[in-house]
Order: sequence, then C-alpha cells, then structure tokens
Amino acid sequence: MDPEQVDEFVMGYLKKKGFNNAAKQLQEALHHNNGGTFNSTDYHNDPELTKLIRSFSQSENDPTRYRDGYSKLRSWAYNSLDLYKHELLRVMYPVFIHCYMDLVGKGHTQEARAFFNSFRKDHEMIHLRDLQKLEGVLVPSHLEEMEFARSLRQSKVNIKICQYSYDLLLQYLHRTESTLMLGIINEHINFQVYSGQPNSSSDDIDAVTIVGSFQETADHINQKEIQWGLLEDSLEDRLEKTGSLLSDSEKGQGESKDGDVDDSKKRSNEIGKQGSSLKKLKKDKAGNATAKVARQETSIVSPAPRVKPELALPVMSTDVEESILEDLRNRVQLSSVAMPSVSFYTFVNTHNGLNCASISHDGSLVAGGFSDSSIKVWDMAKIGQAGSGALQGESDTNDQNVGPNGRRNYTLLLGHSGPVYSATFSPPGDFVLSSSADTTIRLWSTQLNANLVCYKGHNYPVWDVQFSPFGHYFASCSHDRTARIWSMDRVQPLRIMAGHLSDVDCVQWHPNCNYIATGSSDKTVRLWDVQTGECVRIFIGHRSMVLSLAMSPDGRYMASGDEDGTIMMWDLSTARCITPLMGHNSCVWSLSYSGEGSLLASGSADCTVKLWDVTSSTKLTKAEEKNGNTNRLRSLRTFPTKSTPVHALRFSRRNLLFAAGALSKPAS
Amino acid sequence: MGIVPKETIEVTAQSIGITNLSPEAALMLAPDVEYRVREIMQEAIKCMRHSKRTTLTASDVDGALNLRSLEPSYGFASGGPFRFRKAIGHQDLFYTDDREVDFKDVIESPLPKAPLDAGVVCHWLAIEGVQPAIPENATLEVIRAPADNKIYEHKDGPLIDVRLPVKHVLSRELQLYFQKIAELTVSKSSPALFKKALVSLASDSGLHPLVPYFTNFIADEVSRGLNDFLLLFNLMHVVRSLLQNPHIHIEPYLHQLMPSIVTCLVSRKLGNRFADNHWELRDFTANLVSLICKRFGNTCITLQSRLTKTLVNAFLDPKKALTQHYGAIQGLSALGHTVVRLLILSNLEPYLSLLEPELDAEKQKNQMKSYEAWRVYGALLRAAGLCIHDRLKVFPNLPSPSPSFLHKGKGKIINAEPRKRKLSADSSENQPPHKRLITTDGPDVLRPQDRTGPAPMHVDKPIGNYNLPQNSAQPSSSEQASDGESRNGKEKERGKSRAISMKAILGQIWKDDLDSGRLLVKLQQLYGDRILPFIPSTEMSVFL
Repeated sequence: MDPEQVDEFVMGYLKKKGFNNAAKQLQEALHHNNGGTFNSTDYHNDPELTKLIRSFSQSENDPTRYRDGYSKLRSWAYNSLDLYKHELLRVMYPVFIHCYMDLVGKGHTQEARAFFNSFRKDHEMIHLRDLQKLEGVLVPSHLEEMEFARSLRQSKVNIKICQYSYDLLLQYLHRTESTLMLGIINEHINFQVYSGQPNSSSDDIDAVTIVGSFQETADHINQKEIQWGLLEDSLEDRLEKTGSLLSDSEKGQGESKDGDVDDSKKRSNEIGKQGSSLKKLKKDKAGNATAKVARQETSIVSPAPRVKPELALPVMSTDVEESILEDLRNRVQLSSVAMPSVSFYTFVNTHNGLNCASISHDGSLVAGGFSDSSIKVWDMAKIGQAGSGALQGESDTNDQNVGPNGRRNYTLLLGHSGPVYSATFSPPGDFVLSSSADTTIRLWSTQLNANLVCYKGHNYPVWDVQFSPFGHYFASCSHDRTARIWSMDRVQPLRIMAGHLSDVDCVQWHPNCNYIATGSSDKTVRLWDVQTGECVRIFIGHRSMVLSLAMSPDGRYMASGDEDGTIMMWDLSTARCITPLMGHNSCVWSLSYSGEGSLLASGSADCTVKLWDVTSSTKLTKAEEKNGNTNRLRSLRTFPTKSTPVHALRFSRRNLLFAAGALSKPAS
Repeated sequence: MGIVPKETIEVTAQSIGITNLSPEAALMLAPDVEYRVREIMQEAIKCMRHSKRTTLTASDVDGALNLRSLEPSYGFASGGPFRFRKAIGHQDLFYTDDREVDFKDVIESPLPKAPLDAGVVCHWLAIEGVQPAIPENATLEVIRAPADNKIYEHKDGPLIDVRLPVKHVLSRELQLYFQKIAELTVSKSSPALFKKALVSLASDSGLHPLVPYFTNFIADEVSRGLNDFLLLFNLMHVVRSLLQNPHIHIEPYLHQLMPSIVTCLVSRKLGNRFADNHWELRDFTANLVSLICKRFGNTCITLQSRLTKTLVNAFLDPKKALTQHYGAIQGLSALGHTVVRLLILSNLEPYLSLLEPELDAEKQKNQMKSYEAWRVYGALLRAAGLCIHDRLKVFPNLPSPSPSFLHKGKGKIINAEPRKRKLSADSSENQPPHKRLITTDGPDVLRPQDRTGPAPMHVDKPIGNYNLPQNSAQPSSSEQASDGESRNGKEKERGKSRAISMKAILGQIWKDDLDSGRLLVKLQQLYGDRILPFIPSTEMSVFL
C-alpha cells in the first residue's frame, strides 16, 4: 500500500473521531518528514496494521456494512456443517437484533427498517413476539425508552456452544476480517464453550428467550430450596389414614357413620392385603382399579413430604370439613381410561361483554365479570332443571344465597367502575372476590348480595385475583408488575411481590399455601414464597404471554398456558419444563388438575376443552432420570364446543369437570 | 419507510390547525408516531387478552389509552366495523367514512329493541369422556375426525392417521370406452360393431373399474327401456359378455344385476311391437340365469333360492300373463332338472287344467292368446320332457316291476303321489327338497353325495349302455356323459365302503325307480304321446 495513502487514512480517521490535536500533530509530523523517510512510522511496514487502519478508516457510519456483514455471516452459517449448523444459527438472532439496534441507534431509520424486513423471516418462527416489539423501534430515543430494548442492549446473551463450532466461528470472523460482526458478537454474546460433540438441536429452550441479564439470576434463584409437599394433617391425609376412600369406592357402599370404627379396622386389613396383592393388581387394567393402584403406587414410591404452614390458616368449621370429607370420599377416580363428565355452562346474550367467568368449588355458583363493570352470579342449583349442582348433590351449603331479584334469575353485583377482569369464589362459596380495571379488588358476600370491602393498593388494572385454597387469604396481580398477597380482614396488602419485567397476568396458589405462582407478559412464570415475599423460582420457556396457571394437587407440578396455545408442565423443584403440551391453536384461558392429579383439563379460545394424561408424564420423569429420554404427554380427548371459547374450568372435589364460556357468533 | 408515512402526519397536522409544519418535522415525527401507536396497540392487546377475546375492539384501545393516562378516543364505541375511504390524490391515506346524521331522523326513528339479558344455560359437554349428540354440542362431523385420532393416539402415541374417503378415479380411456359401449348398446345402429364390442367386453382385461358403471347403466336402461326390445336384448348380451369375461370379478355386483335380468325374463311386456320376438329374449335370459346360478350358486347361497322363489311366484300366480309364465318356466327349467321336478312337475297337473281352456282353439278366440298358451304348453312340455329324460337316463335297466304293475290303478297312484313323496322325503337317505334346490342345480354341479342312489349302479354298468338321446333339445348330453364317466372313477373307489349299505341303497333305488316310473306315467297321462320323444327307447320299453 502506498504510504501516503495510509497517512491519509489515518488523518481521516483522526478527524472523524474528533482527535483534532492529534491530527494536527500528525500533519505537522508529515510535513517535517517530507524530506526524508528516516522517520517513517512502523505502521507503514506492518501489513496487518495497515489493513486494520484501513478498515477503521472506511466510513464508520456506512449502514450498508451491517447488511453486508450480516448477510455474509448468515450465508456462511447456513452453509456450515449440519452437525454444527444449529449452534451457529443460534448466534444469528442476537447478532441480528443488535445489528438492527445499532442501525437505529445511529439514526439510519430507513436502512434499519430495510435490514429488519429482509432478515426478519429467519427468526419469526421462534421470536415473533420480540420482533413485533422491536419493529416499532425507529428512533434512537426509543431505544432508551423501551425497556425491552434497553435490557437487550445492556446485557449479554448466554449461548452454549461446543468448542469446534466456536473455533469455526472465530476462524470465519478473522479470515473475512468482519470486524463489525466480531465486535457485535464480542459485545453482546457470552459464549459458554464446552468440549465434545454439539448438543442436539432440541435442547434449545434457553436459547429461545433472550431474557437479558436475568438468566444468571434465574439460575441463581432456582438453586433455592422449596418445600412443595402438602400440608401436614390435611383433609386428604386424614381421609387416607382412615382409608375410607379406598373401601368406599371399592365396595360402592354408602357411608354409614355408626359403623365407621369397625369399617376403618376392616379397611386397614384390606390395605394390608392390597399391598401384598399389588403386583397382581398392577396387571389389572380396568377402570377404577388402575387409577387406584396407580395412586397407591405413587404414594408408595415417593411419599410426598409434608410441610408446616407458614401462614396462620383459618380454622375450618366442622360443617364445612364434613362436607369436604364427604366429597372426597365420593370422589370418582379418574385416569386415562376413566374419563370425567364435563358440565358446560354457556353464557348467552353477553354481547361480547363477558370478561371472565368463575365457578365455585362445588359447581353450583357461576359468576361472570362483564366489561360494563357489573358482576353477575347465577345459582345453577335453582336455574332450569335444577342444574347440575343438584345432579351432583353438592349444593347443600349454598342453598340460601340468591333471593328472587326482580325478574332476573341472577344476582347483580354493582360497584366497580371499570371492566371486571377476574372473579373468584372462596372455597365454601360464601364470598366472591373481583378485580377490575379501576385498580380495586372488591369482596362480595353471596349471602348478603352486597359489597363488603374494597381493597385499594394496586396502581393499575388488576388482571387476576385468586382465593387461597383455605380461604381468608388471596393473591392479586396487576399491570403494575406486582403481585400482592392480601387477607380478607385488612385493606392493605400483606406482601408485595415485585420482580416481573412486564405485566403480571395470572396468579395461582400452591396447594400448601406457602407459595404463589405468577405468570407474566415477560413470558416467564415465577414462584414466590408467601412468607418472605421472595422469588424462589423462575420458569423460562414460554414464547408468549402466560395466561393461565394450575398447580397439581400433590404440589409437585405446575402447568401454565400461554397466548399461542402451548401448555407447559413444570417440575417445581427443578424449575424444568417436563414437556410442552401442543394441541391448542389459540389462547389457553384456563387450566385445571383433577382431584388426584392424573388428568389436566385445558380450555382454550379455539372452542375446545382438552384432557391431558399427566400421570404418564410423572412416571416418565422417573424413568427419564434413569435412561434420560423424554416422552410427550398425551392428549386424551378433545371436546369441541359449539363456537364457545372456554373461559373457565374447574374440577369439583368429586371430580366432575365444570366448564364455562360465552357463546360467540362465529366470525363471518 | 415506516408504516406511518409523513403525509399522514401532514394531514393530521392540518386537521388540528397546524399549517406551517415543516416537512422535516413531519419526517421526524412519523417514526415516533409509529412507535407510539405500536406501544398503544401492545397494551390494547393485553386488555383484549384479559377480556378473554381474540378480536381487538375500540374499547381495548380505550383501555390501553387509559393505562397511559391518555384521553380515550371518542366516537368509536358503537362496535360496528369502520369504513375506511381512500383520500383522493394520496396513495396510502385513508379516512373513516362518517355520515352526517340528521337529528330529526334519529329522534323520529322507533326505539330499537332492547337487547336480551345475559343468561347461563347448562348442558353436558361430555359424559364419562363421551360427547353426547345433543344440539348444544358441536355437530358430530366436527367431532368424529378428532375422535378417530384419539383412538390411534391411544394405541401408538402421537401417530395420527386420518383416512379420507377414497375417490374413485376413472382414467380418461376407460371413460371413453364406457361411453362408446353405452352408445353402441343404445343406438342399435351397427350390429357388427356391437358384436365386436361384446367380444371386447367378454375378453378384455382391465375393465373391472367399469363394472359398477355398467351395472348401473344396465339397471337404468332396463327400467327405462322396457318397451324397446332390441335395447333389452343388447343389454342382456352385454350382461352375458360381462359374465364371460374371466378378468372381471362380477360377484359383488350381482345383486344389482339380478333384478334387471329377472325383469327381462318374467316381465309382462318386453318390446311393444308384435314382430318383437320376446320369446327369444326370454330364452336367452333363462340361459343367462342358469349360467349365473352355475357360476355363483356356490358362493352366493341365497342367490338361487331367491331366484327360484321369484320365478315360482310368477309361475304359480294365475293372474300373471302367460308371457310371464313362459319366462318363469324357462327360467326354472334352465336351473336344472331337480328344480323342474320339484317345482314344476309337482304343480303340473293343476296348471295344465288351467291352461286347457286357453289351448282349445274353439274356446279361445283370441289368436294371440292361443298362440301364447301353446308357447307356454310347449315350454312346459320341454321342461318336463328334459327332466324325465334326465331322470331315466341315470337309471339303468334293472329288473323292475312289470309295466303292468304300474299301469293298474292309475288313478289311485296319482292320488297317492303326494303322500308317497312325503314318505320318501322323510327317509333319511333322501335330502330335504329345499336343500337339493341349493346344491343340485344341474348335472355339472351335482355332488357325489347327491347321487348316492344311482351311484353303485354305475359301478356295474358300462357307460355304453346309455342310450343317448337324439333330440336336439338336449345340447349338453355329451358333456353329461363325459362328466358321468369321470365321476364313475371316483365312485369306484367308494364302491367298497358302500357295499355294506348296498342293501339299504337298493331299497332306495327301488323307491326312486318307482317314483320315476310314476312320474313318467303321469306325464304320459298328461301329455299323451308328446312326451315320448324325450324318453330313451330302452327305458320306454321298461316303463311303458
């Protein structure tokens, strides 16, 4: 290269960078050296250096460099060896979004847009939601303003990559002198290089979400210990001790209270027999027997740990306890061969105004929250042919609630001043909680048909509210990115859980009341310790906002449903996704586990109720520990409704499945 | 270029009274406007999700604006879809089409109906995992496909196998072939070509896909063209060709073909012209029927019994026309001698007495009727004659009771006939008549066990003893002979074992012989000498 040319480049570079003094000095030095070459700087002789200087001197602001660099890298990655391809392609997405943001940051709006549109397709499948967000970023100020973009800019992405792929990548970048790409990769990607063969491409859940800096924190948080076991001395325990569940369902006899003591003796004997004849029974694959055996097996194999409640739980009245015990005794055992019955409550004439629906634990009461701020409660035991509440014979506790209110056959609860987004019944069905866009939560009595308390604390619309499994406490979550724990007797929240990066969309209690789970628009689910208010688990894997949550009755698993129709089943202790359940093609509004946790029901905006076999998965995870293969959970049944999106689902204590939804005219 | 062009900014600025907006400012504002709009939309989508909807409404946007503490948009809450209009002169500029409404119209218009109040209805979506077919549930078609999937999934994991109904694809060549054949059959214009077509039908392989179409075509044309004699004849020819084709598996379509064939056999009127020789058609069809019975009698057990039932009904119904009787008789006689003996000969006497007045030229003035009656008489005579010939032929000349024994007391024997028949039916050796009907439909299909009676005699007698009839009405006699010969060999092997029961069999033969003798006598009585040509001379000498 001509030394003078090099000097020129150096001059241009210094000027551009604003090093005016240096430029002047250089100029002077050049003038001095015009005569002789003795003082020639060594950069003239070093070809590597000259090249580097040249690349710097190329107009730094040239936006086409990004496009060129990226497209070259892209074609190289796509043409790489199949074995390493998926790892290399994983690098492309962070490079892509940072190229785009660099372009935007330098003010090349047009070029940024063109760049974005030409390569958008590559990433749409996995990162569609993120792309939709980023698409709106057009001006440098937006980068500062938008939280998502900011977190992307400030944090590094972790990518696991095998040694050989890493070497390949670096070799390529050095050989082609694509310093720009190299810079972006160095700045924004944190490679975790491991030796050996590349991982299979399916194991890329970590790579799916770019969650910014909290990947590490998530890993850190997920180390914490949680006690997912059920409470000591729960009703189920008591029932199991007496063994009445087994013998009742086996003999099919009604409960006789006077002969209880004798019965329990007999039952204990029977249990002993059953234990010995367990192997024989295992082969028996018919109906109830299977379910029972399976249940026994699990309880034998891994006795669920028992934990103490961290909250002062309300004392249950004996009447309520009796009725719950009776329900549990009469519970139908469900399994993949014994399917539940589904009773469907269809809301008609809602004029698209129904925002939420809720069903009481016994199915006799149905509440609807409407966009006109009203809440309407129907007593199904009194409507029509006595509804299914009467069929079930569970309505004894709720006989006296809805008085004749004019010509209406429902109770109208007015008080909110904005659309009602959620409603929940207390376990005995005597209270209703509702949350609304007016930032308040209201407590209603179904006996008095009146508003009792208004809880103010959230600053933005309250998306969801849920009673705890024992009543008295409840959890709410809001657009203000917090979830809060309340008790009925205080108007101030007891705990505030902050940490989600976007709206908290749904909340659910753990069966032992020590934890709550929250699903958010930041595509994560978190588990919080109620006592300390700390986040104890972060579940990363959803690709869109989480809309529904359910906890398995044994407290070990959690299911979450998202906007795309994916349901994920999580192991609480490891924070790992057992398997995604694919099947729905629209929002999963509601999830519910059956009483003994063998089935999961999901209700979706695609007008179906689906039943999933989740016992197989829990067994498989045990097998998985041994031979390390994952198997999919099975979809057992799909019940299509007549153009009725399914808003709410609930398994009653006797394992009858209730579903509710608003009839909507199919879009024409 | 963003979604929001700078022209939009300019127009918006104008609409709120800013006239001096510089183009640069508009250019700067446009991306920011787009960003804000996207931001609002993102929030609006959240509101939509929490309202459990999948369509975005104006109220969601209002909710999102509310979240940002912004003024909501007014005037869009009515819910109806917006009508956008393109601004003239601008490429991508749209505005909502707001009509001006006259207050007077609004006030004077009648109040709209009050919307129905919300309610809840309850139904069973599923009972123990099964969806009941009630109007509240989605229609069955919707359910079925996924239900099937579930069954498959149950068995072998996520494998899904949906089978769609198979479409029957007919190649262009076959379609043309079918059209041509149908045309030839209907047009009757070129008999030579039609003959060639028949040959092709009877021999070409690969016609099988057309069989259902031909079956349909034949059924349609027969029901439509009962007056068209030539068409019917052509159709029957087509049927015969199809039956002859060794590459066609016609059995599944027989049940569709049979009605048409039987129609051509026993229909009251076939063709409308006097010149139409419908007798010929009936004879031809009778042959067809026998062909079908011979070929498929074994596989379709009910075929022959149903056919005979139909024919016998036609034969015994005095209200039916003589032409129909003729067809039925021809059909029955084509089915074999056993059928004739059991069904025709047993009813012969009363039938002939019915036919008598028609035959008498003096009583029956209508020449046509008389002719028909004679035709029927002829058919009956032929059937009976063939039957008796066959019968006598298998009986060798054994020392048998003298004819005088038979001749004495004719009347008594005739009266006693039905009773005796019953007796012989009761005997264990003799199979019940209905079973014979099925299994014995002609010499070809006769099974050895049916011949228990005459079999031992064959052992003793050389075949040369058979006096083959010279009558042209017995075309299959030579076949029968050779057939009998082959059977002879088989019988020889069995001869030994049978020797033990020879005595019992001899008794049976005696009875059978007696039966035949009586039959012959009866026939002779009824027909007079007309039956004699059918009877081989040796036997004649024995019996008469």
